Amino acid sequence: MAEVLDYIQFVLAPQVVTGLAFGVAVILVAIGLTIIFGLLDVINMSHGEFYAFGAFSALALGWLGIPFWLLLVLVPLAMLPVGYAVERILIQRVFNRPDRHVTTLLLTFGLGLVLEDAFRLGFGPNPYRPETPIPGAVVLFGIFLPNYRLFLIVVGALVIAAVALVVYRTRLGAMVRAAAFDRNMAASLGVPVAWVYAGAFAFGISLAGFAGVLLAPIYSVFPTMGRDFILMAFTVVIVGGMGSIAGAVVAGLFLTQVQAIASLYISPVWTDPIVFGIMVVMLMVRPQGLFGRLGYA
Amino acid sequence: MPDALTVAARANHLLVVALLVAGLAFAAIGAALNDTFYLRLATEALIFGGLALSVDILLGYTGLLSLGQALYFGLGAYLSALVLMAVPSFWLALAAGLGAGLVLGLIGGIIAIRVRGVYFALITFGLAQVVAKVVYNTRSLGASDGLLGVPIINIDLGLASVSSASPAGFFLVVLAVIIGLYAVSAYILDTPFGRLLIALRANDRRVPFLGYRTASLRLSSFVFAAVIATVSGTLYPMLRGFVSPELLFFSTSGNAVITVLLGGVGTLMGALYGSVLLTVLRSVIGTWTEHHLMIIGLLFMGAVIFLPNGLMGLVRPAVERLLMRKARP
Repeated sequence: MAEVLDYIQFVLAPQVVTGLAFGVAVILVAIGLTIIFGLLDVINMSHGEFYAFGAFSALALGWLGIPFWLLLVLVPLAMLPVGYAVERILIQRVFNRPDRHVTTLLLTFGLGLVLEDAFRLGFGPNPYRPETPIPGAVVLFGIFLPNYRLFLIVVGALVIAAVALVVYRTRLGAMVRAAAFDRNMAASLGVPVAWVYAGAFAFGISLAGFAGVLLAPIYSVFPTMGRDFILMAFTVVIVGGMGSIAGAVVAGLFLTQVQAIASLYISPVWTDPIVFGIMVVMLMVRPQGLFGRLGYA
Repeated sequence: MPDALTVAARANHLLVVALLVAGLAFAAIGAALNDTFYLRLATEALIFGGLALSVDILLGYTGLLSLGQALYFGLGAYLSALVLMAVPSFWLALAAGLGAGLVLGLIGGIIAIRVRGVYFALITFGLAQVVAKVVYNTRSLGASDGLLGVPIINIDLGLASVSSASPAGFFLVVLAVIIGLYAVSAYILDTPFGRLLIALRANDRRVPFLGYRTASLRLSSFVFAAVIATVSGTLYPMLRGFVSPELLFFSTSGNAVITVLLGGVGTLMGALYGSVLLTVLRSVIGTWTEHHLMIIGLLFMGAVIFLPNGLMGLVRPAVERLLMRKARP
């Protein structure tokens, strides 16, 4: 019995907490992705690079001496106009073509390549590791918990809850959901659809940037950081249902826990095939995902 | 005066002949100058052109965007490397690639064609990721290093025999194989089967009303594209002497999609010209900056926005006009 408790205390629980911190960040990125898909029908292949964008901006501004707390607000705000411009200048150019899925996917894929190389040009290929803003750890119920990860989980969860609240309980959220359900009807009822689209895109990008700022001290900052991360976010969005916020949360928690706990028993390099396997099976059996799309449910 | 379809077909033939003549001239000049580097680069461009060809069959005809075509290309390359290490026979490696393309294409197709549109793109992407990660972690396949030390082989062509180490000779063999793959694809896509694939792309809900099963059509086109990709892949280890898991990664699939877009979607020939264009661009830009990815990304975005028909959208109408003028006395 004591062995089991020891196992839980020293092996399982820390792994669950690590998985949870990662999960919260993945959910932040996945929510942006899922809102953009649910509303605009656009698969944003450059989303991972915007996550990296957030991390690099935080890094650069941190060098200027701006404290972490300010960055946590400043970087996502600064990314809003960037996202807005990308939607208005790039996405809208091909938005009304008949094969919107494919063209927007390709366009954002190209944008991702450009951004990734831009990071390499500006910062070089080597990883940077910003200092942890909250060092130290606490021991709760005999479980060793790093302070920063706890902070990340709490702040991330608050932001996720705030997003859900705005989308499902406010007038703005109702406009967003109406535009997702029926664009033309929403427009004829006075919803500024073009503005809502660009705004939602900007907001999704800014959430990814926020996750980038939060995760930079844990996973370090390098040009291809978005690539590995976005695969997980895509899997979460697909399993949860493309365009579903609740789905992103449930699938995000589930998949990151699978990854975290599975890596205790099998070599961590094998957890990726398991997670992608879940994604493929999900696409085969239930391509619409676990939950309904934004505006429909 | 010839009708539009005949002119389009003639324009295609002219473009193939142009590529073939350019290839032969290139090989002759390269052999005369005793060049290795540029001939090897051109050979690689043709091999990746074969992969792009298979992406174009799916995207340009059936209307399915595959983000995981590198899966078949990479598996073809791995299989070829394994075969060549056991039995150094060009034809056996090619046959193994063909067989594997059929079987693996069928398996992947049954999984992937259940879904359409953007879900198809994601499922092919996921499938390729799973296999790439498995190969990457399998020690008997060389794990992250890949398979090294694929032997140099003598390709028996009946009358003569060509060594895969000879730059010009092997370039010509690859040119023949890739043009052969193009010819087979162009022929098959010109049959009623090919027309049905185009119909699927245009409107897949109406095709069943004409009495055809969309599922088996889609599966056949998937298997067909898989075979083209694996056969192209089998040539890779003969050129480089090794295979690495990068061949299976998304960057390879993504590059093939970029190639098709730059060359022109749905033109087949565009895939080969696109691959040559991209390779030239890469080596030219690469001589003055290492950040070629940015320029290629910008070009790609420009092509998506301003040139949806790619290079062939520019070149082919010009060739057609030329042919029309000639036809008029």
